[in-house]
Amino acid sequence: MNRRLAPWLAGAIALAVLPALAPNSFFLHVAILILMWTLLGAAWNVLGGFAGQVSFGHAALFGIGAYVTMILYLKAGLAPWWGIPVGGLAAALVSLPIGLVCFRLRGPYFSLATLAVAEIVKLVALNWETVTNGPVGFLITGLPPVSLFGASVDWESKLPFYAVAALLALAGLASTAWLRSSRLGAYLVAIRENEDAAEAVGIDTVRAKVLTLALSAFLAGMGGGFYAFYFRYIDPDAVLNISLSMEMVFIAMVGGLGTVGGPLVGAIFLTVVGESVRERFQVGHLIFYGLFMMLAIRYMPEGIWGRAQRLASRFLPKVPGHGAA
Amino acid sequence: MRTLAASLLALLTLLSSTPALAQPIKIGAPQPMTGPDAPFGDKFKKAYGMAIEEINAAGGVNGRKLEIVIEDHQAKNALAATVAEKLITQEKVLVMTGGRASGQAMEIASVSQRLKTPYLVDHPSADMVTSKGFEWVFRNNPTGSIYPAAFNDFIANFPGAMPKSAAVVYDNTLFGKTIGAAVMKQLKAKGVPIVADEAYPVNTLDFKPIMTKVKGTNPDYLLLVAVSTTDAILLTRHAKEIGIRPRAYVGFGGGFGVADMASQLGPLAQNVFSSAAWSGNPNDPKVKAFYEKFHKQFGIWPHEHEVEGYSAIYIIADALKRSKLTGNLDADRDEIRKALLATDMTTVFGKVKFGNWTGPLGDTYTNQNIYSPEHSVMAQWKDGQLLNVWPRSNAETTLTFPDPLAMK
Amino acid sequence: METFAQSLTSGLLTGALYAMIGIGLTVVFGVMRIINLAHGEMVMLGMFGAFWGQALWKLDPFLSLLLWVPVMFVGGMLVYRLLLRKIIPGGELNTLLYTAGLSLLIANLALFAWTGDYRTINLSYGQEPVRPFGISIAVPLAVAFVVALAITASLWLFLSRTDLGRAIRATSQNGEAAILMGVDVERVAMITFGLGTALAGAAGVLLAPSLYLYPTVGELLIVKCFVIVVLGGLGSVPGAIAGGLLLGVVESLGAVYVSSTYKDGIGFVLFLIVLLYRPSGLFGVGK
Repeated sequence: MNRRLAPWLAGAIALAVLPALAPNSFFLHVAILILMWTLLGAAWNVLGGFAGQVSFGHAALFGIGAYVTMILYLKAGLAPWWGIPVGGLAAALVSLPIGLVCFRLRGPYFSLATLAVAEIVKLVALNWETVTNGPVGFLITGLPPVSLFGASVDWESKLPFYAVAALLALAGLASTAWLRSSRLGAYLVAIRENEDAAEAVGIDTVRAKVLTLALSAFLAGMGGGFYAFYFRYIDPDAVLNISLSMEMVFIAMVGGLGTVGGPLVGAIFLTVVGESVRERFQVGHLIFYGLFMMLAIRYMPEGIWGRAQRLASRFLPKVPGHGAA
Repeated sequence: MRTLAASLLALLTLLSSTPALAQPIKIGAPQPMTGPDAPFGDKFKKAYGMAIEEINAAGGVNGRKLEIVIEDHQAKNALAATVAEKLITQEKVLVMTGGRASGQAMEIASVSQRLKTPYLVDHPSADMVTSKGFEWVFRNNPTGSIYPAAFNDFIANFPGAMPKSAAVVYDNTLFGKTIGAAVMKQLKAKGVPIVADEAYPVNTLDFKPIMTKVKGTNPDYLLLVAVSTTDAILLTRHAKEIGIRPRAYVGFGGGFGVADMASQLGPLAQNVFSSAAWSGNPNDPKVKAFYEKFHKQFGIWPHEHEVEGYSAIYIIADALKRSKLTGNLDADRDEIRKALLATDMTTVFGKVKFGNWTGPLGDTYTNQNIYSPEHSVMAQWKDGQLLNVWPRSNAETTLTFPDPLAMK
Repeated sequence: METFAQSLTSGLLTGALYAMIGIGLTVVFGVMRIINLAHGEMVMLGMFGAFWGQALWKLDPFLSLLLWVPVMFVGGMLVYRLLLRKIIPGGELNTLLYTAGLSLLIANLALFAWTGDYRTINLSYGQEPVRPFGISIAVPLAVAFVVALAITASLWLFLSRTDLGRAIRATSQNGEAAILMGVDVERVAMITFGLGTALAGAAGVLLAPSLYLYPTVGELLIVKCFVIVVLGGLGSVPGAIAGGLLLGVVESLGAVYVSSTYKDGIGFVLFLIVLLYRPSGLFGVGK
C-alpha cells in the first residue's frame, strides 16, 4: 500500500463510517461544522501557510460564495450542489482584482489592505439591495426534490449535507496536498522565505500569489456556498463578519500553518473547545481562542499538527521521499 | 409469602422509576448569554424563571412541572442553528421559544420547521420569521412593520397632528429598514412629504453630520429608528445639540424606552415620543402586579423583553394544558402545535390569538398574533418618566404636542 | 454655508480624537515595526478607566488622565517585557497574529468582567453644547480637543528635546545605526511600547465622555486607526495627526454631501488608494 495514500484512504473510510456511529443527529451536525471549518481552514492555509500572505479578509470570499450560491438557487433555480462550485468560482474571479490590488503590498500592509477590502465588500452587501437584499438577507425554505441511485434524497436528514461537507473538506485537503507537491508550491516556499530573493531567481511572484489566492478563494467560496445550503439563511452580518476571518486564521494557525492535516486538527480543536466552553463555563469561547492563539504562537508556532508530526518523525522509521503530511 | 414479597418489590420498582409522563416538560430557549447581547439574554432568563416558578408553585401543568432549558447562542446565526438542533434532538424539548435577534430567530425558525417542533417567537421582530409559511412557528409580539401602528393612529386622529413634512433617520439593519419602510409608506399614503431619508450604519460614533443635513431640510417631524440603545441616545442628543426643533421627536426602537434615555439625556429627553411594541397598559391591575413582583424579585423594572418572555411561558403553559401528551415526542409536539393554533387568551403582554393575515407592507403572516396592531403603543418622556399617551385607552397622562421647543 | 461650517467643525473635532488613537499605534510601529492589533483594546481600557474612576471615586475623567496615563504606561511596558519580547524575533507574521490573539483575549475578558452593557459618562458641565458663531460644539469634545493638543505638544517636545526622545526617533529611523551609536534599543522598545499604550489609554479617557463604552468597542476603533496611520504614514506622528483630521473631515463631509450609508466606505476606499499609490503615506518613514 502506497504510504502516501494510506492516510487519505483511512480518512475516507472513517468519514464514511462516522454517520453509522453517530448517536444522534446533533452529533452529525457538529461533524458537519468541523468539516466546514476544515475546508475554510484549508482555504486560508493555502494563502497564509503556504504563501505566507496573512489575510484578515477571507470572510469576503466566503460571503461572495454564499451570496452567489444563494442567489443562483433562489432567483435562477440552480440547485445548490451546482451552485456551490459556481460560488467558489465567483469568489476566485473576484479574488483576481483583489489580488492585483493587494499583492502590490507586503507584510502587514497587505494584511491591512485585505481588512479594508473585506469591510468594503460587507458595505456593498448591506447597501446594494437590488442584488443582495441588504440587511434582510435570503432564506431557503425548501430544497429541490432529487433522487440518487433510485432513492429520493431526504433533506430533513443530515446525511446529504454530511456527504457534501465531507467531499468539500476532502477537496480542500487534497488541493493543499497537491499544491505542496507542485511547482507552484515550491515557488510559494521561496516567496514565503524571501520574496525578493525569489524574484531575483526569476520567479514571477505576482503570478504565483494571484494563482494561490484564486485557489484559496475558490475553497473559501465553496465553504460559503455550503453555509448557505446547510444553514439556509444568510445576511451580511452572518457571512461577511470579520470574526469569520479571524476564526479561519485561528484554525490554520493552531492546527499547523503550511501542513495538510493542520486545518482538520484545528477545526476539531476549535469546535470541541467552543462547544464545551460554551456549555460548561458560560464564558465566551473567544477568551480561549485568544489565549490559545497566543500560547500556540509562543510555544507551538508550527501548530498542533506540526508539533505532532515533529514528534512522530522521531519515532517512525525514515522513508526516503516521504515528506511531512 | 414469597409471591407477596415479589409483587411488592415489583410494585415498588414500578413506583420508584418515574414514568415519562411524570417528568418535567422541557421548553427550549436559545438566548445570547455571553457576548455583547448578553444583557438581553439575562432579561429573558429572569422573566422565564419567574413565570416557571409561578406555574410550578401552582401545581404545574396537568400535574407536570415545567422546565426551561436556556442555551447560549452568543448572537451568532450559525450557533443559534446549532443550539436549536441540540435542544430539539438531544434535550428533546417539546416546544421552543426565545431567539432575541431576528437573524438568530430565522435560523431557529428554519430548524424548528424542519424538525417539526413548535416555536413560539417572543421578541424577534423581523416580518420574515412569520411570513414564510412556517406552520410550526408562532409569534406573540408585533412585527417590525407593525411597530408604527400607534403612531399612524395618532397622526390620523389627534387634531392637528398630521405632519407637514417628515425626516426619517433609521439604521441600516433589518429592524431599522423594516420600520423605516413601514413608517414612510404610511406617511406617503397620507400625502406627507419625506424631506430626509437617511440610513446610518449601526453603532455610529457621530451623528452630527447627518443631523446637520437633516436640519437643513427643516422637518416638521423628526422620526428616529434605532435597534441599538446607544444609537437611540446619541441620535437624540446630537439632533438636539445641532438644534433641530420639529413639532415632534418620535423614536422607534427599544432604546428610546429605556431608563438611560432619561438619565443620559436629562432635559433633552423631555417630550420625546417612544413608539414601541409594548409599554404596558398601566390601568390593568395584572400588569401592575407583574411590575411590582418583578421589581421586588430582581431589583430592576421590567420592560418589553421581560414581559414578552414572561408571557411566552404562559402562552406555552396554556397550550400544554390543552394538549394530550402521550410521551411520544413527535405526536406530543404536533399536539402542542394544534393547541397553540387554538390559543385564545390574555397575558400580561396583551391578548393572544394566532392567525393568518396580511401585514402593513404586504407580507402574508402565518400564525401571527392577530391582536398585534393593538400592542403598538406611543409613550412620551415627561420629567424623566416614560408614560403611555396613545391610544387614549392606554394613556397614563395627557399628551404634549406640539413640542414647546418647536420652531415657530 | 452653516451646514458646511458645522460639518467641518464636527469633522475636525472628531478627527483630532481619532488622531490621538493613531499616534500611539504609529509610534510603536516606527520603533518596532510591529502593528499592534490590540491597540483598540488599550483604548477601550482607557475608556473604562475613566468610567470606573468616575463611578467609583467621583473622579472627573479629564483629571483621571493623571492616574491612568502612568498606569497604562507601566502596563504597556509589562506587556512588552513579559509577552511580546519573545515573540518579535519570530517575525512580522507571528507578531501580528499574536497581537490579534491578545486583542481577542483582552476584549473578551473585559466582556466577561464588565458585561456587554454599554456605559456612558455624564458630566455635569457637558449637558448643553456651546455655540460659537452658531456652530454647536459639545463641551466634553471641546475639552478633549484642547487636552489632546496639549498631550501632542508635550509628546513633540519629549521626542525632540529629550535624550530619550531622540533615542526613540533614532531607533525609529534606523535601528541598526542606533545600536551602533550606543542606544539601548531593547530599553527603547520597551519604553516606546509603554508610551504607545499610555497614548492609547489617554485617547480612551478623552473619548469616553463623548461616546459610549462597551468592551468590544476596540473593534470599531482599530479599523479607523489603521486608516489614519496609513493615510499619514506608518511611523509618523504628524502623519497620524494629519490622517486623523483628514479622515474626520472626509467622513463628516461625506455623510452630509455624499451618503450617510457609505460614509465608512469612503474612508476605506481612500485607505486603499493611499496604500496603493503612496504606501508611505503623507509623511511616512517608509516600510
